[in-house]
Amino acid sequence: MTTPAPAPSPLAKASAGLEHARILVVDDNRVNRNLLLALLERGGFHQVEQAEDGGDALARLDRFQPDLILLDLMMPRMDGFEMCRHLRADPRWKSLPVLIQSSLNRPEDRARAFSVGATDYVAKPINSGELLARVRIHLKKRALLRDLETYHNRAQSELALARSMQERLLPSPTRLLNTEEALGIAINAHFAPSSELGGDFWGKRRLPDGRLAVYLVDFSGHGVGAALNTFRLHAMCQQLAAVSGEPARFLATVNKRLCTLLPYGQFATMLAGVIDPMEGVFHYASAAATAPMVWAPGDDAPQLGDGSGLPLGLLSSAQYDNRSLPLPPGGRLFLYSDAAIEIPVGSDVLDETGLAALVARHRDREGEAFLSALLADLRATGPIDDDLTALLLTRKI
Amino acid sequence: MEYASEQRDREDTIRLRGRLTFNDHAKLRALIGEMKLNKGQRQILDLSSLEFVDSAGIGMLLIAREEIVATDKTLVLRGAVGQVKRVLTVAQIGKLIPIED
Repeated sequence: MTTPAPAPSPLAKASAGLEHARILVVDDNRVNRNLLLALLERGGFHQVEQAEDGGDALARLDRFQPDLILLDLMMPRMDGFEMCRHLRADPRWKSLPVLIQSSLNRPEDRARAFSVGATDYVAKPINSGELLARVRIHLKKRALLRDLETYHNRAQSELALARSMQERLLPSPTRLLNTEEALGIAINAHFAPSSELGGDFWGKRRLPDGRLAVYLVDFSGHGVGAALNTFRLHAMCQQLAAVSGEPARFLATVNKRLCTLLPYGQFATMLAGVIDPMEGVFHYASAAATAPMVWAPGDDAPQLGDGSGLPLGLLSSAQYDNRSLPLPPGGRLFLYSDAAIEIPVGSDVLDETGLAALVARHRDREGEAFLSALLADLRATGPIDDDLTALLLTRKI
Repeated sequence: MEYASEQRDREDTIRLRGRLTFNDHAKLRALIGEMKLNKGQRQILDLSSLEFVDSAGIGMLLIAREEIVATDKTLVLRGAVGQVKRVLTVAQIGKLIPIED
């Protein structure tokens, strides 16, 4: 998919040559105007328009679309100060360079001109070399600023689009409700990339036999590179739906495929598991993911699982262990990305034991209330400087 | 992250200090460059003064291993403690890079 690039302003090219720049000369004295016109002409500027006073200049702005204004101060009807004030009040002309050329030469005149929004000031009588040099400097600056603004705006809108695409990789609230109705398992999720795009994502799949597969992925690094990898892995997880009921085999298969795709040094951690409501067990396998936590009504603290295992994408022969945790009716399962345990605490980090203590504090809160209370505690603990995903799965029956 | 090197016999030891994260990319690239030029057969990263490593930091250690092995030398991670040791253990990095206490 390609987005048409915005048409470059005539000045975008002109960072090299400024000959297409449009200059508006404002002066009540015709002789002065002609002098400036000739001077600009000699300097290579051919698109020059004249105005006789401030009001005349303002009336011409829309049609002429100047790149720079050469402005006299003392003029009948509307003077240069007044005109500059009017100009700056209009957001479209906020950054238009206004170069004052005036015989008013006291420091207070200059100060007043700058206070109403002038960009620069040259004194009459005009020194032609100096005037042209200043005109060129301001035009060049404007062209560079425009290039930068265009680039910045494009990057912003592309990132916003990419972010909404990434959010759509995640299960929608409707699908979560369907799962709750069908299986009696409620899922509450929090997803917060540390920049516009993140390297985290999660997914779930209802298996035909009434079990629920769930996984959480965290790519190394964050930002655009990590986010692109989440799209790859999401597609892969869809293709591998058939083995999603077997966590260790699922991870080994994903790993083998990722090894051929990722450059060395990039990897992902992943926890893949299956909730079996009949058996009352959470079966899982882990590729260096954080330790899953489970607790049942009446428990004082969560029980921690084992997250150890080779990260995905490093060694194609890697094998993973099937592990399990009890998950009886009413039980909860909490999964999270490592941002939650890497929050600095003194010279150490919060770590899994610290997180488990916070989880214990809120263990009896329901769904959303649990997540928001826990997240508030985490934010109070210290700065979170990585993508943070947190999932709470509750067995309602 | 900061580092200091020391050479002895057929080993070069580089001691890392502070936090190893995504922000240290340029520094670690320079360090890998130095290790490739070092004379010692064993290039030892002493992690005993390293307080924290994130996933990008682990990625950079893996890149270091890849590039150092390509110059027929060995990379060893030594003396990790605290969070760094826990992360290396959970990710089973010992299967890829020799780890010494």
